[in-house]
Amino acid sequence: MVALKNGAETHPLVDLDQVIHAPARLMVLTYLYVVDNADYIFLKNMTGLTWGNLATHLGKLEQSGYIEIKKEFKGKKPHTTIFMTERGRSAFQDYKRSMQQVLNDLPD
Amino acid sequence: MSHSISLKDAEQRVFQTATNDGTWDILLGCFFLMFAIAPLLSASLGDFWSSAVFLPFWGAAYVALRLIRKHVVRPRIGSVRFGKSRRAVLSRFNVILLVLNLLTFVLGLFAAAYASRIPGQVMGFALGLILLGGFSFAAFYLGISRLYVYGLLTGLGPPIGEWLWTRGLVSHHGYPLMFGFISGTMIFVGLALLLRLIAQYPASDDDQPLESM
Repeated sequence: MVALKNGAETHPLVDLDQVIHAPARLMVLTYLYVVDNADYIFLKNMTGLTWGNLATHLGKLEQSGYIEIKKEFKGKKPHTTIFMTERGRSAFQDYKRSMQQVLNDLPD
Repeated sequence: MSHSISLKDAEQRVFQTATNDGTWDILLGCFFLMFAIAPLLSASLGDFWSSAVFLPFWGAAYVALRLIRKHVVRPRIGSVRFGKSRRAVLSRFNVILLVLNLLTFVLGLFAAAYASRIPGQVMGFALGLILLGGFSFAAFYLGISRLYVYGLLTGLGPPIGEWLWTRGLVSHHGYPLMFGFISGTMIFVGLALLLRLIAQYPASDDDQPLESM
């Protein structure tokens, strides 16, 4: 828990990483966490997001340093590969721990 | 459609999406086709060449399916490099499969050497048991449930074929009939999976939307 200036404690949910917490970005990171890398088409199919939606969320994740986007040409066709960075893995693990703690502390 | 959000399920879903294109089923079907056709060719080509003629066929099938994966499957479902844990599982699986194949090869040599002394029912039962065990292991280890069905089909095929042959209902120990059915089933399932994938995922050459970011 984070202590406030007046001595009161905030709820652990406040500590959750808001970049990861958005459902679409959480979905993207979940898939990237369990693989080494994936291309743009594969991620689009796995998440069910539209091109534009996926591009927006990937942009936010890249800005946060959680993923790395590598563009190259395979023959004449452009190919985009997405990797999760070490920082992204660490942040995802922290998020996972926080969520587990929050959910475990909930009464039945 | 909603999916389980556990990391384990997500990883399994990635693996199944990346491998469930039907090409492996078609390749397996092409392999088992040898058991169906070779006995029919052995009278004219002999035991060795009736099987050996399938090597270029398998090679051609393998190359054709690789090309299908590259030009048909990958533009539709994309590509992924599995994580460390899955790569370790696949490496272990390949080693175990290699050991099982070597074991089967040695048993095959042993059976060929003592073919006259071993009853046909025992041979059929042993072959069926090995195939059932191999497919069941693969199904359990990789989490692909239809391999259990292939295991049952290939496990029951040789003893049933032998049983039909002893009653004079089929020729060549029932291999052409049973393995024709088994390989036909595998190829049919593979084609169905491939066509479903083609229908479900449109081909995508557009990999440029990130330019806008």
